[in-house]
Amino acid sequence: MSSGQVTQPQAEIDSAAAQDELTLKQQEAIDKEISSTIPLVGDRECVTNLLPEYESDLVYKDKILEISKTYEFFRRMRPDGNCFFRAFCYGSIERVLGNPGAIQEYRDRLVASKDILKATGFTQFTVEDFYDTFLDVLDKAAEGLAANELLKLFQEQSLADYLVVYLRILTSAELRKSAEFYSNFIEGDRTLEEFCQLEVEPMYKESDHIHITALTTALGVGVKVIYMDRGLGGQHEFPDPENIAPAIYLLYRPGHYDILYPKGT
Amino acid sequence: MSGTGSAQTPSERRLQKELMSMISEPPPGMKVDTEAMGNELNHWLVRLQGAEGTLFEGENFMLQFKFGPKYPFDSPEVTFTGENIPLHPHVYSNGHICLSILTDDWSPALSVQAVCLSIISMLSSCKEKKRPPDNAFYVKTCSKNPKKTKWWYHDDSV
Repeated sequence: MSSGQVTQPQAEIDSAAAQDELTLKQQEAIDKEISSTIPLVGDRECVTNLLPEYESDLVYKDKILEISKTYEFFRRMRPDGNCFFRAFCYGSIERVLGNPGAIQEYRDRLVASKDILKATGFTQFTVEDFYDTFLDVLDKAAEGLAANELLKLFQEQSLADYLVVYLRILTSAELRKSAEFYSNFIEGDRTLEEFCQLEVEPMYKESDHIHITALTTALGVGVKVIYMDRGLGGQHEFPDPENIAPAIYLLYRPGHYDILYPKGT
Repeated sequence: MSGTGSAQTPSERRLQKELMSMISEPPPGMKVDTEAMGNELNHWLVRLQGAEGTLFEGENFMLQFKFGPKYPFDSPEVTFTGENIPLHPHVYSNGHICLSILTDDWSPALSVQAVCLSIISMLSSCKEKKRPPDNAFYVKTCSKNPKKTKWWYHDDSV
């Protein structure tokens, strides 16, 4: 053995590689646990079903009771980082079921949204499978898809993921299209381009105000978010309450979105 | 929608489209080696050229892509292979590449072409030809599959 060469003891080498595999395996196990217990999109249930989760937490309990005065039901999303996009997608399609005019309008907006992708340079083959899948679901809706059938579709991982990807790409395209405006909201020294590549396009990355603003603008579907956190809470309408009335209501708990249903809907 | 009627999976359909696009309109500096591929859609070899005016000008490299059944949701496994592994601070001597879009920051909106462009750009911005500081240790300890490594991404400015 030549002198001066740094050699690592074999045991240390083995443990470094083992450590990497172990970390990844643990993460996989956690993901598996979540996916086996919480469906991608759950059934509609009473908002007060949330109470047992906050048994010893008066602040949250009060907030749940307050919210339940206006919103009777909610629908859980699997907390996998895609929850905003899946909630938006499910909520926006669910509300047009059984209304041919509204389905056609949604379809027109979706078709138009493809131009935003084209204008911002997404290559066609990387987006068309996702786009086609979305269009296909709207066509099924036009043929009279029932609410329980929609739920079944969304519980299939492959289909739900295709829809989420389309909305992520569309969000990214909208951000790029109005880069000058959205750049003001990017924190740190990242460029908008980097933000899109790192925080919008990849699956499982969580959504913030900027994602919601961009997506609701791109599709012209308003969203009202009701915040349930330790802060002031409150609510916010996207993209712009003066021009677009909210069509979907989302409950926000730190890091997570579920769908809310106002009383009588 | 494609109406081909074949029993292709979504992942195969996507790879087929990408392959056709790479063959019919090859982006500058990259070429799929279709002869070496045979009929396997899930294993590609792509020839890369070092860009003009960079430290790698005039050099040729070979990238190996392996695709799993969940592509494009799962990232492809991408490594340099062959005689010439670029001497670069993010490329290990066994061909493994430390590039975040290949793992954590992968997105289904990316493609073989986008990965190749990122790698060409990574090579082009290199200021000094050298191996990563932990090369000897990593090459001895790593898994064969670079996706099994929990990467700590180096500073992008290198």
